[in-house]
Amino acid sequence: MRPFSYDRAAGAPGDAGTTWLAGGTTLLDLMKLDVMRPERLADINGLGLAEVRLDAQGLHLGALARMAEVAGNAEVQRHFPVVAQSLALAASQQLRNMASLGGNVLQRTRCPYFRDPSHAACNKRNPGSGCGAMDGANRLQAVLGTSDACIAAYPGDFAQALVALDAEVTLRGAAGERRMRFADLHVQPGTTPERETTLRPGELITGFTVPAGPWAARSLYLKVRDRESYAFALASAAVALDLDGKVVREARIALGGVATVPWRAAEAEADLRGKVLDEASATRAAEAAFAAARTHGENAFKPELGRRTLVRALLLAKRMEA
Amino acid sequence: MTAPAESGGLERRFLLGGGAMLPLLAGTATAQPTPATPAHEGRSMEMTLQVNGQAHRLALDSRTTLLDALREHMGLTGSKKGCDQGQCGACTVLLDGRPVLACLTLAAGVGTRPVITIEGLHGRDGGLHPMQQAFLDQDAFQCGYCTPGQIISAVACVRQGHAGSAEEIREFMSGNLCRCAAYPQIVAAVQQAAPLVEQG
Amino acid sequence: MPDGFGTDHQRIDGRAKVTGGARYASDVVVGNVAHAWLVTSAIARGRITGFEDAEARAVPGVLEVFTHRNMQGAVAETEFFAKGGYVGSTIRPLESDQVWHAGQIVALVVADTLEAAREAAQRLRVRYAEEAPAAGFDAAGVEVVAASDAGFEDAGVGDADSAFAAAAVKVEASYSTPTQHHNPIELFTTTASWAGGKLTLHEGSQFVHGLKHGIAAQLRIDPADVHVVSPFIGGAFGARGSITQRTALVAEAARRLGRPVKLVPTRAQGFTIATYRAETRQQVKLAASRDGRLQALVHEGWEVTSRPDAYKVGGTATTSRIYACPNVRTKVHMVHADRNTPGFMRSPPELPYMFALESAMDELAYALDMDPVQLRRINDTQREPIKGLPYSSRNLVGCLDAGARAFGWERRSPAPRSMRDGEWQVGWGVATSIYPAHIGTATARVTLLPDGRARVQTAAHDVGTGAYTAIGLAAAEGLGLALERIVVELGDSDLPPAPVAGGSNTTASVCNVVIKACEEIRARRAQGQQGAIEVYAENVPEGLPPDSIGKLYQGRNALGGGLEGGKQAMAAFGAIFLEVRVHDRTREVRVPRVLGAFAAGRIVSPRQARSQLTGGLIWGIGAALHEQTEIDPRSARYMNDNMAEYLVPVNADIRQVEVLLLDEQDTQANPLGIKGIGELGNVGTNAALANAVFHATGTRPRDLPVRIEHLMA
Repeated sequence: MRPFSYDRAAGAPGDAGTTWLAGGTTLLDLMKLDVMRPERLADINGLGLAEVRLDAQGLHLGALARMAEVAGNAEVQRHFPVVAQSLALAASQQLRNMASLGGNVLQRTRCPYFRDPSHAACNKRNPGSGCGAMDGANRLQAVLGTSDACIAAYPGDFAQALVALDAEVTLRGAAGERRMRFADLHVQPGTTPERETTLRPGELITGFTVPAGPWAARSLYLKVRDRESYAFALASAAVALDLDGKVVREARIALGGVATVPWRAAEAEADLRGKVLDEASATRAAEAAFAAARTHGENAFKPELGRRTLVRALLLAKRMEA
Repeated sequence: MTAPAESGGLERRFLLGGGAMLPLLAGTATAQPTPATPAHEGRSMEMTLQVNGQAHRLALDSRTTLLDALREHMGLTGSKKGCDQGQCGACTVLLDGRPVLACLTLAAGVGTRPVITIEGLHGRDGGLHPMQQAFLDQDAFQCGYCTPGQIISAVACVRQGHAGSAEEIREFMSGNLCRCAAYPQIVAAVQQAAPLVEQG
Repeated sequence: MPDGFGTDHQRIDGRAKVTGGARYASDVVVGNVAHAWLVTSAIARGRITGFEDAEARAVPGVLEVFTHRNMQGAVAETEFFAKGGYVGSTIRPLESDQVWHAGQIVALVVADTLEAAREAAQRLRVRYAEEAPAAGFDAAGVEVVAASDAGFEDAGVGDADSAFAAAAVKVEASYSTPTQHHNPIELFTTTASWAGGKLTLHEGSQFVHGLKHGIAAQLRIDPADVHVVSPFIGGAFGARGSITQRTALVAEAARRLGRPVKLVPTRAQGFTIATYRAETRQQVKLAASRDGRLQALVHEGWEVTSRPDAYKVGGTATTSRIYACPNVRTKVHMVHADRNTPGFMRSPPELPYMFALESAMDELAYALDMDPVQLRRINDTQREPIKGLPYSSRNLVGCLDAGARAFGWERRSPAPRSMRDGEWQVGWGVATSIYPAHIGTATARVTLLPDGRARVQTAAHDVGTGAYTAIGLAAAEGLGLALERIVVELGDSDLPPAPVAGGSNTTASVCNVVIKACEEIRARRAQGQQGAIEVYAENVPEGLPPDSIGKLYQGRNALGGGLEGGKQAMAAFGAIFLEVRVHDRTREVRVPRVLGAFAAGRIVSPRQARSQLTGGLIWGIGAALHEQTEIDPRSARYMNDNMAEYLVPVNADIRQVEVLLLDEQDTQANPLGIKGIGELGNVGTNAALANAVFHATGTRPRDLPVRIEHLMA
């Protein structure tokens, strides 16, 4: 870990040299591994930004609300089950107590070539050095949104709920406050995998707004993993359904564990619209969701597991009382 | 719709966590961050940590984690280092009443929030805490290395109302790895102690 | 009220453990300590061509950067553990520019603070001339050596190949088990300090006398000048039995700096600076007559080891001796690759090899259309078939019957895919467990004080097994005292020597010698001796040479018993019954219940015995379902060297675990009839799980771990 200065941020915008410290669960970990080398840490834990509020517009979440607080909130559980579940099924209770929502969506990949600087090849850590995972240990890496430069999977869960429900993210920077679609926050690796988000230098996530919608109550997060708890997703699905009897008025679907970014499955949603939701239509939608999947050896099982996960999630959501 | 039930808790955390920041936050309009504490380039920082009801004045490297502060600078070695990366739970302590991983917490960021470690747990009579007694009775450990972290999480499990069923306990306790695999006995210990540990 | 063998009691070291008062090696406060950080190799094969250390040395607080440039010759060559020496690997880091495996120690940085040591280590640049490594079985450049050519004996009897060819019913299949790492939660820490030419080591150890003598040999000093302190050990599982090479380096650094040095390696470094369970490939052929009686057993294995060290897993010594079978052929091969040296990990030979045998037995049961419990019952024997030695006691059939009854086995519908609960396919599996009963030469000192308190002193080790309590109960039994009146001191090389905490021998070895000392105390008291009575006792078990006491005092073990030597075969047995649920769509495998029924001689300390066996069963589940060290075949590097991606079971994975302990009086194995149980619980559990998965799904898992992707077809 490199030396750094430590300040308690007082609410002013940062600059390119500022690294915000919230829960620290990703940052401290990667600093210890010498992957992240910030020179100036600005501790934002004194800034408040911990709102958890529901109103007619939807769910308002401060960036410094902790995962555990939101996961355990009875109103969130009732009205936005997919949000609460995506948080509750992530990490451990200690990490959920520490990690902020803003930090969580910026959680960085678990790709082993990224996390250890003694591996020479990692385009994300060291642009132009190659990708160790492409022909290496990639069981947990992505099959959607990959490029020839990077297949590192986005490891989080909560972001899938946000992207499925068309959430907005609020940002504060030198030019003041701005809002954008949460789906526009993460960027696929393309030829520049070192660039993971559209955040501007020094910009701080201050909160999220999840709009109310007829689908929000009939929503869930299904996470398939090697262990019963405390493991990253091999495949996950955030789904929200607005049903007219058996017919899908609107489906909202995002996929985790399989993609380089929180992955909205727009093709699957389109496929389901106006259809009777059953095994056959869910299977067709799942096939559409993974039509563009590219596998790399160890992760060859992921499209099939991802399809099955989505089908299971859709049929579970259909059976929900909402 | 109503305000979330936990909002009181959030406010309390906010005040304890960074109450001193409030006036600055309200009043600041400058382009530069206003440091509440002087910046340090990885060198010594002065701080006072509130651990187990005692104030510890320390001068620490800004990089020092709460875990290393406890173990290397305060002689409180009950909290263990098993991975130093937030993966095993052996370093679990209560920070402001909530279980957190001391290995991923910067000492400098703790501020005035109270820290409780295994050394700070005790029963009403000053003897063993009911959870410690339950771990002993149920043989809920073998090598004992993960045990302080397990017991801290177990206390929080009951206090926060997650000990309602074996399944709930198992899920809550899953952030504390036990390589000797005393898991069934740990669940039994939480169940034994639950009626004796206050919730809330 | 006197306590004794069989008393249900809390751990006598438990209070220290639940209060945080138990001091593990890195908890000991040593004044003026400097902090060390390791730099490990990024390549698996080749040479170090240079260091760029200016940046590292410029970090404020750095005291020294040790590399082979300034450490060469500091650590003497010593013999490999498996050849009767001390070290778990003969690869000496910092001895030359040669790199034998990925993660080999290439530098040791020492600084005033751990923050500075870590920063400097991360700033040290190492240049290599890299050669293509051979990572394992399928790599070009591995060297395959038959174990029989390296001095090991392959068990065999009759003509297995002819019998197999002629038999009515047969199965033949290949199995594999993965690389696994012990991952005790306590890291591989060492604190070394010198005073007046004497070295004190605080290090978790399964063999403090071995560490004392080994480090003395490595550093070319008098063993009398080494003191190893290890009263509490944060998990071991075999990882702390032989000496790792980091200890001598830390001690040497402390000697040169004139200051105590403390090393707390990272979790990732623990994967390469200590040992691990080698991956295996195995082929099993079983043949039976139509009534289910075994006619032929062929078991061949291939195991990875390092380039210089012949570490053999060799579980065929056990698998060839379990069932009545007139024709047996076994063969083991070692495959030398560019890897760190593997070593003992909980049930080292039995866990991988019994997976193959007990899976094949299940396959044979299906081929015979016979209940798998019945197949094992039919092939039970009171004599091992290789040399015809009688078992000192053996109640496998009792375990199978009691276990089947308690599990409700008669409600199992035999056909694969025939049981279900909603969306979950249900499967029940069974397997045999066996672990050889070992006993070693041991010494102890017992002191009875006039006020009726007693003290037991022996350099045995409680690695979480409950040895403190078991040994205390032996003294309670021997002296007729309450356990509260007994103090037990272990884990210190100044105490009379006891064997390595390995091969599940400690309870048998130490209780027998403690009882001997207690008998002497009682005799002296009967003769009228007054005041404190202190007795030092030695015990050389039947079949071990008298000079094994002298060897033990040199840190060399003498273990007897087991299956291969002597006039009898000695082993503990068990039967594992396990239920899995496999989701019919997404294929998660969950284990709602497991039951182990065990016949393991005299149970000294029942509460801790249950914990040991419970933990063993859960280890078996982890070994079957979760644990695998992933290796990049291009670089021969371990890729999931952390506790987030090297998966071990968490609390939520474990539901109902039941342990049945059968009464078993063994008057032959040793005077007290004690058999070890520390490794019994995890043997066979992996096979029981795989057999249950087959029953649930119709897919036969032959390669561990069983993962979702293997069940997708």
